[in-house]
Formats: sequence, structure tokens, C-alpha cells
Amino acid sequence: MTPSLAPLEARGISQRFGRKRVLKKVDLRLDAGEIVGLVGANGAGKTTLFSILTGLLPADEGERRLAGAPFDDLSLERRARFAYVAHRPQIYLGLSARENLDLYASLRATVGAETEASAAVLARFGLADAAELMAGTFSRGMAQRLALARALAGRPDILILDEPFTALDRQGRDLLAGILAEERARGSAILLSSHDHDMLVRVADRILHLEGGVIAGEARRRDDDVDGRRFREETAALWAGPQR
Amino acid sequence: MRLLRQIRLLLLAELRQEVRSLEVVLTSAFFSVVMIALFAVSLGAVPSDAQVMTVPGALWLSVAFVGALTLTRVFDREREADTLRALLVGPVDRVAIYFAKAAIALMILLLASAVLVPGLIVIFPGAAPMAERPLFTAAMVVLGCVGYVAVGTLFAAGLATGSGKNVLLSLILHPLTTPVLMFNLVATRALLEAHPGADAYLGRMAAVDLVLVVLGAWLFEPVLVGSGGGSKPARGRAGR
Repeated sequence: MTPSLAPLEARGISQRFGRKRVLKKVDLRLDAGEIVGLVGANGAGKTTLFSILTGLLPADEGERRLAGAPFDDLSLERRARFAYVAHRPQIYLGLSARENLDLYASLRATVGAETEASAAVLARFGLADAAELMAGTFSRGMAQRLALARALAGRPDILILDEPFTALDRQGRDLLAGILAEERARGSAILLSSHDHDMLVRVADRILHLEGGVIAGEARRRDDDVDGRRFREETAALWAGPQR
Repeated sequence: MRLLRQIRLLLLAELRQEVRSLEVVLTSAFFSVVMIALFAVSLGAVPSDAQVMTVPGALWLSVAFVGALTLTRVFDREREADTLRALLVGPVDRVAIYFAKAAIALMILLLASAVLVPGLIVIFPGAAPMAERPLFTAAMVVLGCVGYVAVGTLFAAGLATGSGKNVLLSLILHPLTTPVLMFNLVATRALLEAHPGADAYLGRMAAVDLVLVVLGAWLFEPVLVGSGGGSKPARGRAGR
């Protein structure tokens, strides 16, 4: 069995846009089999941090490590085990839902990575009836489901989700929460941002608060906190930050 | 082998989308017809022997304008849905993205040229040598368009990861492609003048294309990722 890419670590990540310092020496560690939530006000730098972690944006300073080793760029084989769902669904509007998934499955196959069959993934995300519809005709919620389906079809070791609950209806949120729990049980390391307090408390093991370009606080679910009340309270205290 | 398979997959996805909408093909073809009409009105009265000076300019100026339009639209699809970033995170060779994009742009540009060249031949008697040597003409147009697309794709991709940068493409693209277009123009004039060394131009054009394609493929990743690095991550329109 191939060893996991986790843990994903960021050490001393700093980023500046013009005169504005968006991230200041951010440290973050994401272990296999855990879900970490990231909260922060709009413009706090969550998406910037995700872009750096996924390699879309070279950081001004700092180091990224996978499984203990620093990396500047990922090989294609490693990228196949890394999935990112951005704030925008990033799907081809002129292709059907099935064609979108088939394209990525075929691209993954070129590097020897396995992918769940498109029909099965679409069914898992409640899109079986929309498989042949053009993605350009999808509602925002359906597009989000398709984006999540594309990311999860490859059973990634590391999954980064930028506001994945956005535009999902109650059923979609429950579905995603269940799928994330399955992925965690499988050993996937998951990092997600959200403004949905309830969903984040429901799925995450740890929640980090990004404020002023630094990780300003952390709430952690503990084994003895059976009903999750303490975690909810700690998270609510953190939440006061983003709402300011 | 993997690179070729990825290019094929990405190109097929591009073709599938284009065949369904015909958006770029129809726009480019229509724009080509407009260009021919404008040249017919403005240069139709030029004496036949002087047309050898004007036809090459009309041809490659049209290619430049249609090419800018094509490249803009080809990458607009990526910009609208932010799909280029998804490819960059996925297990896709960046060079495969370059070649797939260049190939679709080249196909559309050649289709536009299939309208432009016959149109110019019909309107300008001085363009008759292009009809007399169809293989040479076809090779010249293909080689000329390859050079243009090799440069154009590189910079269109660099601007596609940001938003609202279409206007920059024309500002950057035209100066950078001017040397290629000038070379094409000289080759076309050699054909129209029945210059004895005209055939040698094809070899030179092929050599220039090779250099430009290699440079384009080599610089594609730094331009693409570098452009992402220079701007804040896209958080615009979320979907439909």
C-alpha cells in the first residue's frame, strides 16, 4: 500500500499582496484521519493559505512539507492524491456532469491513479439524474456537488475544501458531512473553511481561527467531551472573532 | 506518451465544448468576413501590380486580429469557470495544457484562414499566385499560424488566471507577435512576387516555429504559475 501524503505541514508561511500582509508566519499541521476547520472573517487570508498549500500560489516565505519532507512542487503522481475544491466550482460548463468526471478520471489514469466510476460518484452525490445535463445549466448547489464529486472520486490522501457547504441545501450538507466522516475514517487528511458554524462543529476535529494573518486560536474536540458541548463552546468563543 | 495522452484528452474536451457552442468558430469566421469586406472597400481600387504589397498585409493583419479574438475566447472559458486552476492542482502536465490550448486555437485560426485566403484571392487579382501554388500557400499559412499561436497561447494563458485582463492581452500580444507576422509577411510577398528563393522561406518559418513552440512550452509553467502568484486568488462569480 502506498504511504499517505499526510501530514501536510505549513511552516512560517507569509504572503503579501502589494503593501498588505495577508499571512504572517502561519504554521499549520494536518494529520491523516483528521478534519481541521479554518474560520476567519472575509479577507482573513483563508483562500490565500489554501492556494499556497495547493501550490497555486508561491508563498513569499515559509515551507510546505508532505509526510515530513519539504516540497516546492508536487509530482503528477502525488498531485493525483491531493484534491482541492475552490470557492468556485471549477467545472467545465460546456461538458455534462459525467463528461466532467470522465475527463478528470482519464487524466488521473494517465498517471496510474485509480478513480471511482463516474456513475457511482454521481449517484453518491445525488446527481445521477443530471449525469447527461450540461454543467452550465446547473444551479450553484448542483455545481458544488459536482465539484465535490470530482475531488472525492479519486479518494485523495489530502483534501482541501474552500467553503464546501456554500450553496448546498440541507440534504446536501448532511450528505457532505457523512462523506467527510467516511473519508476521515479512511485516513484522509481534510482541511476546510466555512462560515457555517453548525456544520463545522459537526464535522471537524479541530478548528483554527485565522485573524490578522496569524492563527489566533484553536478549539479541539476531546475524547471526554462526549456530547461535544465543550467543543461547541470553545468554537463559539473563537467564532466571536470572525463575526467582529 | 503520458504527455500525448493528456494533450489528447484536453483537446477532445475543448473540441467537444466548441462543437456544441460553435462560439469561437462562428465569431472568428464572421470576423474574417468582416475583415475581407473592409479590405475590399479600402484597397479594392489599388492597381493589380501594387497589390503584391497590400495582400500580405491584409492577410496577416487579419490573422493577427482573428488570432487575438480566438485566444481571448479560448481562455475566457477557463476564466469564466476558473477551470485552469483545477487543472493546475490536478495531475496534469502544464505542457499538456499549453499544447492543447495551442492546438484548439490553431485549428480555429486555420478555419478562419480558410475563409480569409480564398476571400483575398477573389477580391485581389494580385493574390492569384496563392491560388496557383495552393500547397505552398497552405504550408505558409499553417506555419505562420503556428508561430503566432505558439507566442499567443503563452501570454493568453498567463492572463487567463486573473480577471478583467482581456484588454491586456491585445496590448501584450500584438507587439510580441509582430516579428512573427513580419516574417510571414515577407514570405507571402516572396510568393506573390514569384521570388526564386520563396521556397526557402518555408524552411525558415518552420525553424522559427520550432524555436517558438519550444520556448512557449518551456516558459508556460513559469508564466502560468507566476501569474497566479502575482495576483490574489480568484473569488469572483461562483457559478450559475
